[in-house]
Amino acid sequence: MKVLVGVKRVVDYAVKVQVQKGAVNLKNVKMSLNPFCEIAVEEAVRLKEAKAAEEVVALSIGPKQATETLRTALAMGCDRAIHVSTDLRTDYMELQPYAIAKIIQKIVDQEQSDLVLLGKQGIDSDCGQTGPMLAGFLGWPQVTFAANLNVEGNGITVERETDSGTETIKIPSLPAVVTCDLRLNEPRYATLPNIMKAKKKKVDTIKAEDLGVDLTTHNEVVEVFEPPPRKEGIMVESVDDLVSKLKSAGVVA
Amino acid sequence: VIISPKYVEDVSKILRFANQHLIPVVPFGAGTSVEGHVCALEGGISLDMKQFQNIMLPGEENNNEEDDQVMMPDPIARVGAGVTRKTLNKALRHTGLQFVVDPGADATLGGMTATGASGTTAVRYGTMRENLLEVECVLADGTLVKTGTRALKSSAGFDLLGLLCGSEGTLGVITSVTVKLHPIPDYVVAAVCVFDSLADAANTVATLKLCEIPVVRCELLDSTSVAAFNAMIANEKTSNGGAKETKQMEVKPTVFFEFQASSEESLQEQVRLTESITKDFSGSNFQFTSGEEERKALWAARHNLYYASINLRKGATDAVLTDACIPLSKFAQVIDATVRDVEELGVIGPCFGHAGDGNFHCILPIMEDDPEDYIARVHQVNDNLIQRTLRAGGTCTGEHGIGYGKIKYLEQQYGPGAVKMMEAIKKSLDPNGIMNPGKVVNYHR
Repeated sequence: MKVLVGVKRVVDYAVKVQVQKGAVNLKNVKMSLNPFCEIAVEEAVRLKEAKAAEEVVALSIGPKQATETLRTALAMGCDRAIHVSTDLRTDYMELQPYAIAKIIQKIVDQEQSDLVLLGKQGIDSDCGQTGPMLAGFLGWPQVTFAANLNVEGNGITVERETDSGTETIKIPSLPAVVTCDLRLNEPRYATLPNIMKAKKKKVDTIKAEDLGVDLTTHNEVVEVFEPPPRKEGIMVESVDDLVSKLKSAGVVA
Repeated sequence: VIISPKYVEDVSKILRFANQHLIPVVPFGAGTSVEGHVCALEGGISLDMKQFQNIMLPGEENNNEEDDQVMMPDPIARVGAGVTRKTLNKALRHTGLQFVVDPGADATLGGMTATGASGTTAVRYGTMRENLLEVECVLADGTLVKTGTRALKSSAGFDLLGLLCGSEGTLGVITSVTVKLHPIPDYVVAAVCVFDSLADAANTVATLKLCEIPVVRCELLDSTSVAAFNAMIANEKTSNGGAKETKQMEVKPTVFFEFQASSEESLQEQVRLTESITKDFSGSNFQFTSGEEERKALWAARHNLYYASINLRKGATDAVLTDACIPLSKFAQVIDATVRDVEELGVIGPCFGHAGDGNFHCILPIMEDDPEDYIARVHQVNDNLIQRTLRAGGTCTGEHGIGYGKIKYLEQQYGPGAVKMMEAIKKSLDPNGIMNPGKVVNYHR
């Protein structure tokens, strides 16, 4: 099977973002590979190592620096990469899941992929929509929040995590879209020799505008604001004091 | 009072204020130190460095955006004092590089510098001192200090890095450090070997090092430790109804090895040579494996040692952990004598060591309702082993530091001259004695 893996360049999970001029400030902010996409890459590379996949292609939509994110995916074991270049913000402010899914659809058609692995959501926009939308556009079966994936014959069996327990979904034959959740695997660390090798792997760049996809936003972002600062606490001297304060705040009867 | 500053200038302001008003200041990292380092013996300010979280990765400072033909970045990272080693390694995970000093706990880089930390990889990569390049700190009077260099060696002036490393917060507050990084290994193999005596194990390790086999980890468990592990898994078997697969180990001194290399051939060569050396010293049952899960299983006795030791005394929740470092030629002798001492004093205390460094620890489980007599005997074991260590030309602490419990050994270990020199340095850098008073040296204003 041919696997296409989506990798998104997002604000690093450890960064404390700040809002400036109605948007999250991205200047001089540390960016990295979206953790859920990292899990998707790991799963794709494992499929290749198990000889279930013949080729793994990494795809990223974003500015010039998205190629660094792709190099990480290549260092982890992807065979080659496609960079759809755009300077539009991919954190929902300018490019939204609808258009992103349409872009990925074009690449899937071009690559004739059998399995698309995506992270379940980007940690910047937290939408979780790209995978399901893509499946809808392609008319393919989808499984989201995958916690376990097994190749069986021409298809796959996926366990997905839900709030009420684990669900097992069998897709008898590919193609399919799967979005990956935390428990699916523990991504590998890239070793230096692999990082060196990755520099020589192929990265093709296509301009987003050249794909013939409507990139306009369908949803308007009305306001972006930081959560209100934590209110100062009060030190209490005793349990009785605590109880009386909770009562006067109406927290307990 | 707990203060959590965010900027170096704030640390300077706080210290100037504290110095003026004679308020003690105790720097705080992750609080994983074990010799009472963060105990505020005289009250004052606990200076929590947790907001110093900046991480600058290799190549990030000279970010050349246009050019694709950049020089290979130096394998170094500059981090805020509050960054823990696991946080640093997580940030490094796609660079192919890692920070190798591993004291077990997830300590902060500032704390590791202040305590001169080391761990299981010291045999190959050295301690915190060998992995430090630069340190930024603030002195008691608020002076900002930058010292060290990114160059790989230097002869420029007094070795302030060496002075600050291990100073345990008594000379200043460390705000950031630049550390060396090493490549993440391509190939790793874990091995285990059993010996008839501690002396055989020690001789094996000494020979290994003389043959320049670059063993990365080399841990020794005494028979009591192995028995503790066997007891622990036997208990698990009965409670699981025999579900666990873990095999009992031979109750003999056992060495756990870890080898790393950039090629499989190089690794196989290291393992082959090591196995042949073990045979020269009665080594038996040499096993090795490379898979990640199998390596964890092979090292299970070493990884679970603390809990297995605590389990030797039903109801124990804590332990006294000793720390001494001896020249390798006397290593086995000191451990043997300690094991006998533990038995004679009628306490429980398995021993294990970082054999490659001659550093050993005795884990003495204690309970809340232990009679004073038992606790006294436990401390006697520690005192005795330190005496033995000093007589053998060793040091009263290999990695845990002095804190306030071991100040009494410094004069015995070094003689009055060195102690006087340390007190003079303390007096000159912290005349009001506000920096972590009561630790490392006896100094009061």
